Amino acid sequence: MAKIVYTGEGCTGCTACVAACMYAHDKEFGVGASRIWIVKEEPVTDHPIVCVQCAKPPCRDACPVGAISKTDDFVLVDEKLCIGCGACVEACPFGAIIIHPNKKVAIKCDLCSGKEPQCVKFCPPKVLKLHTPALAPKAKVK
Amino acid sequence: MEYPFGGYIGQILRVDLSRKKHHVEPLPKDLARNYLGGLGFAARILFDELKPKIDPLGPENELIVATGPLTGTVWPTSGRFAVAAKSPLTGVWGEAHCGGFFGPMLKYAGYDALIIQGRSEKPVYLWVDDDSVEIKPAKDIWGHNTAETINMVREIHDDSQIEVLSIGKAGENLVKFACIINNYYDVAGRTGLGAVMGAKNLKAIAVRGTHGVKVSNEEEFLRLAAEAYDCVFKEERLDGLKYYGTSPPLIDMKRLVGDLPTKNHQTLIFKEAEKFGCKAVEKYFVKSRACFACPIRCKKIHKIPSGKEGLIMKASEYESTCAFGPNCGSDDYRAILEANTLCDLFGMDTMSAGTVVAWLMECYEKGIVTKKDCDGLEMNWGNSGAIVTLMEKIANREGIGNLLAEGVYRAAQKLGRGSMKYAMHVKKMEMDLNDGRGHRSMGLTQATSPRGSCHMRSLVVVDQGFAFKKVATERYGEDKLPEICDPYAEKHKALAVKDCEDVYAIRDSLTMCWYACGWPPAFWIDDFAAAAAATTGIKEFGDVKEMYLIAARICNLRRAFNLREGLGANGDTLPERILKEPIPDGPSKGQVVNLKVMLRDYYELRKWPNGKPRRKTLVDLGLEDVAEELERLGRI
Repeated sequence: MAKIVYTGEGCTGCTACVAACMYAHDKEFGVGASRIWIVKEEPVTDHPIVCVQCAKPPCRDACPVGAISKTDDFVLVDEKLCIGCGACVEACPFGAIIIHPNKKVAIKCDLCSGKEPQCVKFCPPKVLKLHTPALAPKAKVK
Repeated sequence: MEYPFGGYIGQILRVDLSRKKHHVEPLPKDLARNYLGGLGFAARILFDELKPKIDPLGPENELIVATGPLTGTVWPTSGRFAVAAKSPLTGVWGEAHCGGFFGPMLKYAGYDALIIQGRSEKPVYLWVDDDSVEIKPAKDIWGHNTAETINMVREIHDDSQIEVLSIGKAGENLVKFACIINNYYDVAGRTGLGAVMGAKNLKAIAVRGTHGVKVSNEEEFLRLAAEAYDCVFKEERLDGLKYYGTSPPLIDMKRLVGDLPTKNHQTLIFKEAEKFGCKAVEKYFVKSRACFACPIRCKKIHKIPSGKEGLIMKASEYESTCAFGPNCGSDDYRAILEANTLCDLFGMDTMSAGTVVAWLMECYEKGIVTKKDCDGLEMNWGNSGAIVTLMEKIANREGIGNLLAEGVYRAAQKLGRGSMKYAMHVKKMEMDLNDGRGHRSMGLTQATSPRGSCHMRSLVVVDQGFAFKKVATERYGEDKLPEICDPYAEKHKALAVKDCEDVYAIRDSLTMCWYACGWPPAFWIDDFAAAAAATTGIKEFGDVKEMYLIAARICNLRRAFNLREGLGANGDTLPERILKEPIPDGPSKGQVVNLKVMLRDYYELRKWPNGKPRRKTLVDLGLEDVAEELERLGRI
């Protein structure tokens, strides 16, 4: 199961990942329709929140129309089937799935559909990593 | 209809607080094309819309918040915005620039710029939620500090991701150097723009945006942005900023070269300065934070031992450390951080606050004021308790604080007794913590800056600290060596100052951070040109000549704004101390600034005989209307 992981230390809260994520999906730099976001609290908390691609995804179980499925690699929303009801948003224990403010469908991390995840690419302190099963033994998690 | 240029949104939001109305205007294409963004927009709008001689704290003044084409893209350090108005501190052109996250959010909400005019009867805050704009009562928020204001507004709208510009007690009480705070400690600091907000009864501006910023040439933009990130990662000179922040490396460098303003600029050597250097403060480090999309992450959080838990505070930037430390003769790091934090909470400019306190201390030393005059505070050099106490008094305008809240020029004028001699200001704005005697080009920078004493408008780096011979040769030619790199030579400094002023006008219009181009050779104007062209799709922006033309337009327009107010060459000067009192000790011993020579060269390069733009200078820049207005008023 591939997923984006935060190494647990060093996020500066700059939100470059957030803007890069929205650009990767909508061709617009922004923060309103991003699949990753950052919890910021004074004085020292900056923590990225992104889908952990659960083994038993509560969002999938909550979806009344079966728009969310789990593939071998990750959890996926079928935007054509989604009715934008927000049941998945309520069900996600991480706050990692939201309703797109303009398209009104559920959106979540899709690992940039197999291409290089842009949040990882643009993270200035390089603390976001793509964790894949093949890489797992080598990944350094502090 | 979609805006024809990338990077821009294509809309300006105008809010009239007197009439409680707002409307959205299209961003004129020629404004984008000729003035680029941020600072450029603000200069043109303020020159067009403000009448000369208006009261900066009256309803006729306008507060402009403007972004540039790069703001909100992931271009490194582009998360900035410009704020401008007629300054209540200087009575002339007022501008301040700020990092954080507000600029990008304003664009995501759908606006390149925000124009606030009029004055509300009662305290209000502005709530911009994409297309929906509301002027809401701020009765319950008024009186709270800037951090509480941000938290309260976020709570009212139940969203922690809202970006808020706010003022604190200082802005409410019209302290002449009140500032505007975004994101707790990102500050549009100088020229008293917080008082402009306070005078308008505008406590805060809150923005939420769900749209985005498009770029014109995607492939080119992403390639250039990736290169730009790489450049920042690889640039060793930025390592000091990345690991220690702005203050410790600069203190270390400046204490070695003898350029650390001490005791109200009496000297440039402070023996205890090592206490603020990299080695000394390293142990306090807790965490780095960054503004939007910034790989430099110069904001540091420090934890100072105190009681069980210790105090966790944002570490002060160089200017604030020096303002409350050496310049007030204090070596108490904790007190500096406390004063700095109080300034953020009250919404006050640390440089101005530190400088007025230093002025009071010198007056005390010289016997001009007594302990009784200072509300029982012993204003000895280094009395850090008094410095912290004064922050509260200034913000609340209590006792002696009421005098200091007027800024050092007005305070000295009111006090009299020969205290003006110790008032360190240019154009009525308190001096930043730099000194032309230890860094010659700085003298010209501070004297010519349109907003009063300021190091940010044209700070030349190649003549200080490090050996920048290679960069200086590339930029200005080999024949300018060795003087151009000599911190104590006047020769060729005007050339470098003018060039930097132009480049930084572009930087502030795009809008980018000073640290992106501060320590060469990070970015310079050719990088800015390439980024602007890729983002906007305006091919002409890719030409460096065009960038210099836009920069000259902005610089002349700011000059015209000040000339219209009656301030020309008469304002381009420095405090007597900098011009006449030689430095008593250290590497800069014996130095004074020969400003006349540099000013002559500067006016010649700018084509401003006697400090006034020629008609032809303005017409060549497409500023015929500006020339006509200045002629009509008899200013040129």
